Amino acid sequence: MSFVPGKPVTAVVQKIEIQKLRQGDNLILGFSIGGGIDQDPGQNPFSEDKSDKGIYVTRITPGGPAEVADLRVGDKIMQVNGWDMTVVTHDQARKKLTKKKEEVVRLLITRKSLEEAVKHSKGCHPRQ
Amino acid sequence: DSDIQKKIDHEIRMRDGACKLLAACSQRDQALEAAKSLQTCSTRIMAYMSELQRMKEAQVMQNVPRSDAGPMDGRLPCKGKVAISLRIPLMWKDTEYFKNKGNEASPGFELRVELYSCCSEDDYSAGSTPRKLASKLSSSLGRSAGKKLRAAMEPGACSPVSNGGAAPLLLPVPSVGPKYHLLAHTTLSLSHVQDSFRTHDFTISGNECSYWLPLYGSMCCRLAAQPHCMTQRMMGGWLKVKQCGGDPQTWTKVYAVLKATSLFCYQRQEDVEANVEPALTIGINKETRIRASEKDPHSKGQNICISNRYGGEEVTHTLNTESREDTHRWMEAFWQHFYDMQWRQCCDDLMKIELPSPRKPAPVTPKQGSLYHEMIESSDDLTSTVSDILARRMQELELRSQLGTSPTWMSVFEENCPKSTGLSFRPCSSRLSGHSPHSPHCLPSRSPVSPHRRPQLGLLASDASLTSDSDSHCSTSPCCRRHGWPEPSSNFPLLSSSPSRLRPRTLSLDAKLSTLRGRGYGGGGTFQCSCQPPSSSLLAPLPAASRSPLSQRSTQTTLSCSSSTSSNSSSNSEGSHSPESSEGGPFSRPSPARRSLRNLRARLDPRNWLQSQV
Repeated sequence: MSFVPGKPVTAVVQKIEIQKLRQGDNLILGFSIGGGIDQDPGQNPFSEDKSDKGIYVTRITPGGPAEVADLRVGDKIMQVNGWDMTVVTHDQARKKLTKKKEEVVRLLITRKSLEEAVKHSKGCHPRQ
Repeated sequence: DSDIQKKIDHEIRMRDGACKLLAACSQRDQALEAAKSLQTCSTRIMAYMSELQRMKEAQVMQNVPRSDAGPMDGRLPCKGKVAISLRIPLMWKDTEYFKNKGNEASPGFELRVELYSCCSEDDYSAGSTPRKLASKLSSSLGRSAGKKLRAAMEPGACSPVSNGGAAPLLLPVPSVGPKYHLLAHTTLSLSHVQDSFRTHDFTISGNECSYWLPLYGSMCCRLAAQPHCMTQRMMGGWLKVKQCGGDPQTWTKVYAVLKATSLFCYQRQEDVEANVEPALTIGINKETRIRASEKDPHSKGQNICISNRYGGEEVTHTLNTESREDTHRWMEAFWQHFYDMQWRQCCDDLMKIELPSPRKPAPVTPKQGSLYHEMIESSDDLTSTVSDILARRMQELELRSQLGTSPTWMSVFEENCPKSTGLSFRPCSSRLSGHSPHSPHCLPSRSPVSPHRRPQLGLLASDASLTSDSDSHCSTSPCCRRHGWPEPSSNFPLLSSSPSRLRPRTLSLDAKLSTLRGRGYGGGGTFQCSCQPPSSSLLAPLPAASRSPLSQRSTQTTLSCSSSTSSNSSSNSEGSHSPESSEGGPFSRPSPARRSLRNLRARLDPRNWLQSQV
């Protein structure tokens, strides 16, 4: 998942749709994010490439909407409702996720296990 | 013209000196300084050269006959003095304070602020080898003389190129020595002049070096300009004044001085110097209308009518001069004054520009109430000033504080960390000629220093080597131990919660707030100055209250952060930072307002790997 400047980024992604939960005046998703282009990527415990400044899921509230939607800790968020999340600041990312007018967020996330799975499937069923 | 030439020669000599010094010096700090001087000299030489070029061009153009010469042609707005006070938030150090000497400029000026930084490596004989980052700020003044003037001239006359005989100057750059890289720049102009501090965006150059010194992408500065028309007397002479609507035939003889958008009329010429209140003040500003009227049959010379609107009324004064030439001269002066209004907002009120003089204490009321400002602007007597300010601040904060914790930055002084003060005071120290930055009040002498302290000491040493030339540049030098991306937290393990007094590293004052505010540090509100030397090594994990071992890597610190984050249902986002702040812990849960403030500070502290709850 490392990013070479100037080259397109490719990843195997999974779509995750999360319905926000209303808590009083707020709509919450039930997870925490870390990362961003303004953050120090070396401190990201979830990234494989320590120069990856993407947005990662760092925590999932048990029982929250994110958990229900099968978002997992360590997932890297690539898009939120079509908005790119690979080159955003931390605050921009947060804002994209917490728009008051949106009740649903559709995320494209990538995780290592996905890559593995695809690789596996490619390996086990070689096409001729 | 010769002025500039002299300046160029001077700069060239300085530059040569810097080159020689660079080649000859052995110490890192000296090399850094020399490289810095080199860079600034080169920049200045370039600036002067282009200025010279422009002047030559202007001369050439003036000789070209212009068919559509208007009344404003050939007129230049008066020059003015421009000064800038800068603050650049850096991620490791809270602010860099830099004050520029006033420079001359015309209203169409462009002030290009460039942030340079140089990576350097220190080798210390003992202890760790942190990477030192020295950054310097160079302001080069590029003058684009009077855009309006250009527009009035013939098209095609302002071709920027023309090499009228000036050979391109090749400035040999020494290959050895620290190299400064341009990190970011921004350009300020007249519209940015304001009497207060503003934030400007930096354009960060995309080179790799930009990442060494994480910038917030903005800098904060106060750009002040004093046009000469505001500070100097533009015209003076004897006039006779009568006010329309009053007694038509009474003429009062006054000595009038045109300055700062007003015509001050004094009874006697001596009054001007004596600071006596003028008998009459007539405003001469953008709204004023001035007319020379036909020869008045009752008096010789010509009349000049000046009309202003005060409120809803129009008030007209009539001036009478001794002779036609006088009239002409006054009209000229008025026209020039109008033209000087190109300085726009600078003409509304005179902006203060303090000239930094190392010996003179300059009491400045800071626009912001931050401690930083106070410290920087204060006199060179660091020790007493600091303790004064601190004492004052303590009182203020004690009165205001509801948490009952001592102000977090107190810890800076309660600890025995030379670096902390060094970091805070660096800008001050850089302006002190030869003044030792090492002896602030309440801190022990620096000589007994453990090896772990060496990095920090080295930073201060570099400050001491800064000369107090007027363009003093401050060097930031946070330590970073490793190559690659700066990872402050690994080098500054103090982030863990430890109420003990041993703070192994310096945080900037504001950044400290984020980590310490939630800690109930030190008990309520007493300012103690403990001058005990550290009893143990700074890098050893502190026992007792530490929740995350100091010596571990940042990643683990982060993990413990995330695991101990408490969910705040009342706020959508939470910046969780150092573990102690998120614990319910020994202190009561702060009010939402304070929490958001803390969150804000947590966000601003780049050492934290920010996490937000959504």
